[in-house]
Amino acid sequence: MAIEARPTAEKSWIEQVAPGWWAVGLILLAMPAFAGDFVLFQVFGWTFVLGMIALSLMFLAGYGGMVSLIQMTVGALGGYMVAILGTSGTALSLGLPWWLYIPAAILIASLFGTLVGALAVRTEGIYTIMITLAIASAFFYFTRQNYGIFNGYSGFNLVVPPQLFGIDWRQPVPFYYLTLVCAALSYAAVVYVARTPFGLALQGVRDNPRRMAALGFSVTAHRVAAYTFASVIAAVGGILLVWQNAQVSPGTAGIPQVIDILVIAVVGGLKRPIGPFIGALIYVLLRVFSPDVLLAFGLSGERFKLLIGMGFLLIVFFSPDGVLGLWEKWRARRAHAVDPLSGAVRDTAGGGRP
Amino acid sequence: MTDTSAERLGSVSSGNALELRGVTKMFGALAAISDVTLSVRPGERRAVLGSNGAGKTTLFNCVTGDFLPTSGTIRLFGEDVTSFPAHERIRRGLRRTYQISLLFGGLSVADNVYLACRGVSRNRFSFIRPRRGDVLVTRALELIEAVHLTSSRDAMVSDLSYGQQRQLEIALALAGAPRFILFDEPAAGLSPTERGELVAILTNLPSHIGFVIIEHDMDVALRVAESVTMMHNGRIFKEGTPAEIEDDAEVQELYLGGGHG
Amino acid sequence: MKRFTTHHPVWSVIIAIVVAVILWLIFAPWPAGLEETFGRKRIFLNAVFGGITLGALYFLVAAGFTLIFGLMRNVNLAHGSLYLLGGYLGFEISDATGSWLLAFPVVFIVVAALGLLLQHQVFRRMDGQDLRQTLVTIGLSVVLADIMLWIWGGQSYTILAPDWLSGPVELPVVSGVGKDGQPAWLRFPAVRIAILVAAIVIGVAMWLVLNRSRLGMLIRAGVDDREMLTASGVRIQYVFLAVFAFGAGLAGVGGIVGGTFQSLSPGEDTRFLLASLVVVIVGGMGSIPGAALGALIIGLAEQLGLVYAPTYSVVFTFLIMALVLAFRPQGLLGQGR
Repeated sequence: MAIEARPTAEKSWIEQVAPGWWAVGLILLAMPAFAGDFVLFQVFGWTFVLGMIALSLMFLAGYGGMVSLIQMTVGALGGYMVAILGTSGTALSLGLPWWLYIPAAILIASLFGTLVGALAVRTEGIYTIMITLAIASAFFYFTRQNYGIFNGYSGFNLVVPPQLFGIDWRQPVPFYYLTLVCAALSYAAVVYVARTPFGLALQGVRDNPRRMAALGFSVTAHRVAAYTFASVIAAVGGILLVWQNAQVSPGTAGIPQVIDILVIAVVGGLKRPIGPFIGALIYVLLRVFSPDVLLAFGLSGERFKLLIGMGFLLIVFFSPDGVLGLWEKWRARRAHAVDPLSGAVRDTAGGGRP
Repeated sequence: MTDTSAERLGSVSSGNALELRGVTKMFGALAAISDVTLSVRPGERRAVLGSNGAGKTTLFNCVTGDFLPTSGTIRLFGEDVTSFPAHERIRRGLRRTYQISLLFGGLSVADNVYLACRGVSRNRFSFIRPRRGDVLVTRALELIEAVHLTSSRDAMVSDLSYGQQRQLEIALALAGAPRFILFDEPAAGLSPTERGELVAILTNLPSHIGFVIIEHDMDVALRVAESVTMMHNGRIFKEGTPAEIEDDAEVQELYLGGGHG
Repeated sequence: MKRFTTHHPVWSVIIAIVVAVILWLIFAPWPAGLEETFGRKRIFLNAVFGGITLGALYFLVAAGFTLIFGLMRNVNLAHGSLYLLGGYLGFEISDATGSWLLAFPVVFIVVAALGLLLQHQVFRRMDGQDLRQTLVTIGLSVVLADIMLWIWGGQSYTILAPDWLSGPVELPVVSGVGKDGQPAWLRFPAVRIAILVAAIVIGVAMWLVLNRSRLGMLIRAGVDDREMLTASGVRIQYVFLAVFAFGAGLAGVGGIVGGTFQSLSPGEDTRFLLASLVVVIVGGMGSIPGAALGALIIGLAEQLGLVYAPTYSVVFTFLIMALVLAFRPQGLLGQGR
């Protein structure tokens, strides 16, 4: 906590985390013991990766008040750079060593995100969606047409993680842990930064840029720096996504994919960093299992897009704060629930706060 | 709050804390304020009263730098700040509260005040959380104490009552080392109890901090001020002590029924 | 415009020179050296006129988008879907009735009615929540796109132009010198010229309504200052309804046009949404002349880029947008905010 003045025993961060979280953490760590390869790789791996990219959107939207649609593109650019600078099945790759191309990819993608931020933050907030969507589209069309660098329509295949410490990181169990650790680190980073002076100032800029300027803060600098921070997370997520698919192509950051990240973040909830991961899990479960459900109803398995769209609309109508919002409302109602027997009002507030 | 550096500055500077000479502000053909000349000594508590349209808020906006006056000079602690941008004036110790509170709705009271303290200090980006006992954190808590909001320290701004939000607005203006504060209708919309609290907060401000308060509520204004300037139609109409102004016949004629604008 | 020239004399001279050069390139016969470096004049002319007529199409779609955003602050990301829906419906109607012209009023009414429904039942309930409205339009675009894919499938549809519009028309522009030494005139598809004329007529009509009618005055006031308009007691919701319905109808009609001289397929909705976004960013929010200027610039950039530098035509469009964002974020003809 930024503001805590208790002179006596203060809780360390370990004690501050609610018990429910420890349970979740243990289950996640032990998952490979009881879950199959498909669940580890396709369900959880994908969830962590999409969650990270959606987390970067949530950081900008929830803490910065800027709804940016460039995050998926930043991720894809990171993936492209890994393919171009590293090894792939395509002749265009440069074959640099992993300790060069991974940091370089993250750097390039973050620079790109920062530049987009610099272009987008000088206008009113509502324009951010438009500008970032336009730039994301331009990226898609450009990578599709450019064969000199991006190999056009086909992109790069056989883009796999480097064999470090003798482990094939694309195997289900290693990949699961890799993505789990990255997701956990990103999550922790966001939670931590949110209450640093920078994070607080960013939220101040979100709530009242005029007052922040009157207090002496540089509003633009804070916003652009937020894009940089978010882009690093998105870049890492993008690289992991490309490794998971073992390929990157214009379709990795096509408009439907870009919109999907927004859907994930909104459905999960834009107010807390856990929201994007919840949204990602819902999305992944839908993608994986809805074709079967649809077929059971006699519809083509391809209609999952319709399901996702309608689910999204329902959430926006009834709970704009997403699934997290529903959870908060339910908890609030329970906290002030009336005991059916005695009619007394039961006040059970509490619980963790990440 | 004991900020000795500000105290020293306040007592060392000879002359006036705020000095306006012949300040006029035109909007097109309309003179919002004309030929306003007034001076406020360091540590003085001045009330500026007048009906709507008298030019009070325009006066404030010229002093803070939101407007550039059409003519005239403004001096802050002897320095000519007429053309300075707003943040330069803030750096020289000028603060202001707004008629409509400009608060950070998604943050707690403590965070709001912390941001204010951090802003007027050197603003580096910091990605490190403040340690226990951080100077600015302690400062923020002191300010919260000064505006009687300690019990609501961790409440979200959106959960505060209107009166509490106005108190927070004042806390934001007290951050850093203010030497002079402009209070823009701080009592607007407050209940009688809340008004009493406001008067207490204002009268208990450190004596080196001078302020000018715009108010419609004559009662509040006359209780916290030691001198009063009355404006009418953009000009200064009368100046004097609260007692003199209250008893003045012309003032009574213009403002029948007392303090409500 | 006079104000612009007096305030920015250097820019005015530059723009005047550029326009003069372009006009010369179009109307004068090219000397031999020019043809060697730039290729045949006819190709250039085709690209230019193609760009202008493409700009006309972009204008039709973007005009509705910019009005909806300018007045209601609703970034209607389903605008592209309305375009494609209008196109598909236009195809069905002209296919069923054999009349191309009949498709226009019918599609306009149907899509406008859909827009009316959306504004009345959905957006009105979220008045003031700009982001939420935009999120709804995103959801709508996803749902509409899939429904259209379901009904019409993945193949391309082209709407056939009527006989009296098919074939080329001769324009009074010299495209080269024929073998007999006589000037050859440019031949250009008649249907595209017809669309250009129609777009100009519609644009002028919109401008007249906006600047000369009471409704237009209300719209302009609302674009400038929403709160003032709400406070003035005017039944602002009716204005919103009219604007959204009109914007939607126009997008739908744009679909017929696009379906006629290009084609309709999944993905065209995204393309025209993107075009509207870029046109409006470049031209300025809430400004009809801005939409016209932006559409013209983008249309020309796209066509000329396609002809002379095919791998980088996207970059041109993006570069123009980035430059405008960097140096004049409110758009070329937008109000400073």
